[in-house]
Amino acid sequence: MKTLSVIATIFVTGIVLVSCDHVRRSPGHLYMPDMFISRAYETYDQRDSAQFTTDISKAGEKIFYNNMPVAGTIARDEDLPFPLSQDKPGDTTNYIASKLIENPEAPLTAAEATEMHRLYLINCGICHGAKMDGNGPLYNGGNGPFSSAPKNLLGDPIVSVMPEGQMFYSIQYGKNMMGSYASQLSRKQRWQLVHYIKAIQNKTKKLPVSPADVADSTVLDNIKL
Amino acid sequence: MIQLNRITAKFGFIVSFLFIFSLFVNTVSAQGDADQGKALFQTNCSSCHSLFKDATGPALTGVEDRWPSREKIHAWVHNSSAVLASGDPYANALFAKYNKTAMTKFQGILSDKDIDAILDYIKSAKQPAAPAAGQSGESSQSSGSDNSLLYIIVTGILLVASFILWQVNNNLKKLADKKEGHAAIGHIPWYRNKKIIAFVAILIFIYVGFWLSSNAISINRQFDYEPRQPIFYSHKVHAGINQINCLYCHTNAQYSRHATIPPLNVCMNCHKAITSYSGPALKDAEGNDIDGTAEIQKLYSYAGFKPGPGAVYDPSKAKPIPWIRIHNLPDHVYFNHSQHVMVGKVQCQTCHGEITKMDEVKQFAPLTMGWCVNCHRTTAVQFKDNGFYSIYEKYHQELKDGKIDSVTVQMIGGTDCQKCHY
Repeated sequence: MKTLSVIATIFVTGIVLVSCDHVRRSPGHLYMPDMFISRAYETYDQRDSAQFTTDISKAGEKIFYNNMPVAGTIARDEDLPFPLSQDKPGDTTNYIASKLIENPEAPLTAAEATEMHRLYLINCGICHGAKMDGNGPLYNGGNGPFSSAPKNLLGDPIVSVMPEGQMFYSIQYGKNMMGSYASQLSRKQRWQLVHYIKAIQNKTKKLPVSPADVADSTVLDNIKL
Repeated sequence: MIQLNRITAKFGFIVSFLFIFSLFVNTVSAQGDADQGKALFQTNCSSCHSLFKDATGPALTGVEDRWPSREKIHAWVHNSSAVLASGDPYANALFAKYNKTAMTKFQGILSDKDIDAILDYIKSAKQPAAPAAGQSGESSQSSGSDNSLLYIIVTGILLVASFILWQVNNNLKKLADKKEGHAAIGHIPWYRNKKIIAFVAILIFIYVGFWLSSNAISINRQFDYEPRQPIFYSHKVHAGINQINCLYCHTNAQYSRHATIPPLNVCMNCHKAITSYSGPALKDAEGNDIDGTAEIQKLYSYAGFKPGPGAVYDPSKAKPIPWIRIHNLPDHVYFNHSQHVMVGKVQCQTCHGEITKMDEVKQFAPLTMGWCVNCHRTTAVQFKDNGFYSIYEKYHQELKDGKIDSVTVQMIGGTDCQKCHY
């Protein structure tokens, strides 16, 4: 009987050890949580709703904080805000008016153009294609998951001659199926990206690249689409 | 008579040849029209219209059944606002349904013949069959890599064999003793044998000691941590199959200490149009099936978005998704993403593993101090042509003299305590 119980114990322990779940769904324990977990509020921390509020009308009772900068704040080195607001659905007044807005950014240097090439590949290339041909991996000639064809930035009769202000409007607020990129690119980057796309468009069409877009004619030499 | 027969035969041959030839030419030209229509459709229409799915404008399959005549469609494509102004009820209802988004005027861009070619293409296009579920999914469930069961079985067999041999040996010894006439020693069962008790006690001591110490060390460490997230977001589908750059969503890994989780509007950049999942079958870490389309619906409920004709994403209706943080560093350690990603040019995969193959993300690196310091000891920094490091004149001189071939992070203070603890 004793022998049997010993064998049974060993057997059961073995099974328990083998059948342990290998997916670790819990973070485990901490030795000293007060040294591990920040006492200050970190990014994304959930705030105590007894003390904090995101509702401005309750600002007197609780601490008002909603993660947003004060309206009208301009970051250091940042461009001035775009003067036009987004059109209401069905209205195109500001979209058309945006054609007249000039690009406030200085012409790109070679280093800036390389940086814009990098940012283009990260943010735009996924739809508009690394070669700006409107055939990025998400569309993939109609076989990708994204069903609407992105604009061919080089060949499209409208986009390839679009004024810089209107391009900025589309990046800032989105257009049709394209979303806003205002949270991924700063205003300065958006304007510089417009310079970059315009310069590549002219270069591909064998037109003279505008000196407003690039500092000198050698800037685009190192960029390969 | 024979002559006549010959002539009719010849005539018949020529006629049938001409007939077949004309048929052939006809099919070729029809094929040509459809091809031309497809090309025209993709250049001019497909940004706003899909064949089978409502996008900025309605799906175009069956468009001819919805309009009274082709002439009306020509007029609409050439100048939609004129048709709207004429008070056409169907056109006005359509305009209102799609958020009053005006269609581009194609007057001067597309001729009537072009539009007819496009309409022919739309008529001939067939909906692609949906891929059978799990057809293209990977069936390899990471077998073979885990051999622990095999080891346990082999160990068990060896243990049983040695036990049997030991018993046999004992019995033989007993028989030999009997034969030689030694006094038989009282029978002692194996579990009271002192040697065995001592052996098992030592084994248990080693095992428990190892188990205790390794568990004590792993407290505070979250290696392999793989929480269940509120939405089954697959990095494999997004960053792997669809090749979205890591920095598309985790933008701030370039500019700040935090890699940051993308706000909902970044998800909606694509998911405004991508409303269903059609890739390889998804499975969670335990092997349960996951319905990708249902997970996209979860995203919509957080985003406050209802997909459909003319749907607009309104960020003010969105509420944040309570994602669960996987990589937790203690408060007394400072880590900066931008420093590693932009200055150090470290690939995301170095610390986060093959993220493009993970459906559910788990902590790949141990994130212990030894792990950090090891990398700082061996990694060379980009020293040449880097204004940031111009003050290290001694190292620049040694590099020039060929005394050292690279400068590691450690050499410029990368293992100093106050680099990360302050």
